[in-house]
Amino acid sequence: MRVVIAEDDALLREGLALVLGTEGMTVVAATADAEEFLAAVAEHRPDVAVLDVRMPPTHTDEGIRAAVAARQAQPGLPVLVLSAYVEQSFATDLLGAGTRGVGYLLKERVGRVSEFIAALRRVADGGTAIDPEVVAQLFSRRRGTDRLGALSPREREVLAVMAEGLGNTAIGSRLFISESAVHKHIRSIFAKLELSPDDQTDRRVAAVLRYLDGTRD
Amino acid sequence: MERGGAVEHGKVVAALRRALPATKWLVYGVGTGLLSLFTVVVMIPVMVACLLGIPLVRPGVFILRTVAEWERTRLRGMGQPVASPYGPLPRTLREAVTDPSVRRDLLWLPLHGVLGTVVCLFGAQLPVSAVRELLFPLWWQLVPPSEAAALNGLVHVDSWGQAWLVAATGPVWFALWLVIGPRIARFHARHSARLLAPSPGVDMSARITQLTATRAAALDAHAVELRRIERALHDGAQNRLVGVAMLTGAARQAIKRDPAAADQILERVQDAAESALAELRSVVRGILPPILENRGLEGALTALASDCAVNCSVEVDIPVRCPASVEATAYFTVAEALTNVSKHSDATTASVTVRRVGDRLLIQVDDDGRGGADPAQGSGLDGILRRVAACDGDTRILSPLGGPTTIEVTLPCGLLSPKMTRC
Repeated sequence: MRVVIAEDDALLREGLALVLGTEGMTVVAATADAEEFLAAVAEHRPDVAVLDVRMPPTHTDEGIRAAVAARQAQPGLPVLVLSAYVEQSFATDLLGAGTRGVGYLLKERVGRVSEFIAALRRVADGGTAIDPEVVAQLFSRRRGTDRLGALSPREREVLAVMAEGLGNTAIGSRLFISESAVHKHIRSIFAKLELSPDDQTDRRVAAVLRYLDGTRD
Repeated sequence: MERGGAVEHGKVVAALRRALPATKWLVYGVGTGLLSLFTVVVMIPVMVACLLGIPLVRPGVFILRTVAEWERTRLRGMGQPVASPYGPLPRTLREAVTDPSVRRDLLWLPLHGVLGTVVCLFGAQLPVSAVRELLFPLWWQLVPPSEAAALNGLVHVDSWGQAWLVAATGPVWFALWLVIGPRIARFHARHSARLLAPSPGVDMSARITQLTATRAAALDAHAVELRRIERALHDGAQNRLVGVAMLTGAARQAIKRDPAAADQILERVQDAAESALAELRSVVRGILPPILENRGLEGALTALASDCAVNCSVEVDIPVRCPASVEATAYFTVAEALTNVSKHSDATTASVTVRRVGDRLLIQVDDDGRGGADPAQGSGLDGILRRVAACDGDTRILSPLGGPTTIEVTLPCGLLSPKMTRC
């Protein structure tokens, strides 16, 4: 798998390249700012891009804007954004333009190498990977204020893990429940969130988006 | 003896440093005093005209306020700030009479014009007398016998013996100048400030406006400071620690396949952890330097001066310690100023003077460099201005092109109280 990295801190850039390299991925370009990153993406057409949120010159949300721009230039490009802290507006900006092949994780997750690589592969295959911290914050903030309040605690847990991008089997093993129980909870969630089965959109993604949209008051 | 001599020498230099500016302010005091005397003469016909119904109230009060403001400016320069108590100019005689600031200014004017002028003149002529009397033997025979007098013309001199006696009084005048010159200046400033201050309870709107602005500046400086700390933590320690987590993961991957490579990675983990600690220390130092707590302002400033690339002297004269926030601001000011001296000034020597005058802390940093320091140029000066303003203090930067540069900061540090006496 061919990867382009954007990270302004030299130590982290090297560390990331080291982790990816050891896992058999090819880092075709390791860049230090958004401009270089976009040029590298255009040149190498990678399978997935990994980038930092805060980069020069303003150290605010350059990474998010670069990710959105890269996906406009190369539709469907999977991007995994790494952030030093959780900022929901970044997640919603990123996911607003489509959730396929998008990830948003805290930087230190890279240290849990096998989980990080699994998340990266999921994103590269068109899946989603949202950091549990982001999901947890959404829950704590939105609880009881809208339709999400109608969910039972167990359903919220299931939706939280689903928002991270995990499949039914993985959700079941994470929560120590059977796969059929997961199915039952998810059906109930869809019903409560009024996501009908004949909808053309991916209902799992729609359910996650409903949370993220809820933060844009 | 050698050491005693050096100490004496240091004391004389310190006394000179106090006496010279005091004399400057006394000369200015003579200026505003004579101006006040002149204004008294002008005000009498103006007041009579006003009583007769001739509309001179506005120009009259305007002149009065202008003169009083000049004296306030002088007092501010001396580190004895006095808030202006003025509202809009009164339009009618009734408004003028009921305005307490007009009454207070009218009381102050003749007092400063007569007593103030005499006091300032006496203080200001002390060094002149010292030189005059010291050089008496050189010139007493060149002037008409009636002019050959000492003690401001009180004692006539007509023999060489007397002339040498007069010369001997020169050093006495000099000593008087050193010892009582600054005291006269302070004495006069204190009374002048008392008369010119807004009357208590009235006219506080100007002071409230000033306090509101200061408070806004404090909040702003606070926000800027927090942003600085956040940035420093994020770009420094936090990134290093993320690196530690990342590289630890990489090392755990490598340890089974290639222990030697894992060891190399672990070495970098250690480096990253150590530099995270170093970053944290520097952030903490920026918030409240531990050295201030351990060694007081004088010790902390001496340490700064010895780190300075330029030869730098430090003179601190603080009988009691100031509040921690004031010490931190003073430390920050001197640190920034000396960083500028090292980086931009091309100076060969610098000096730091910190004195406590009443409830104010006066900080002065001088260098003999090329000048041209400008807060708008994005140097640390801007930070000094903001931080000092947040403490309700004043900053003056004198830095003509070609040098030298002087930065004067005045910080209010509360009244002397036994609780704050820690040394």
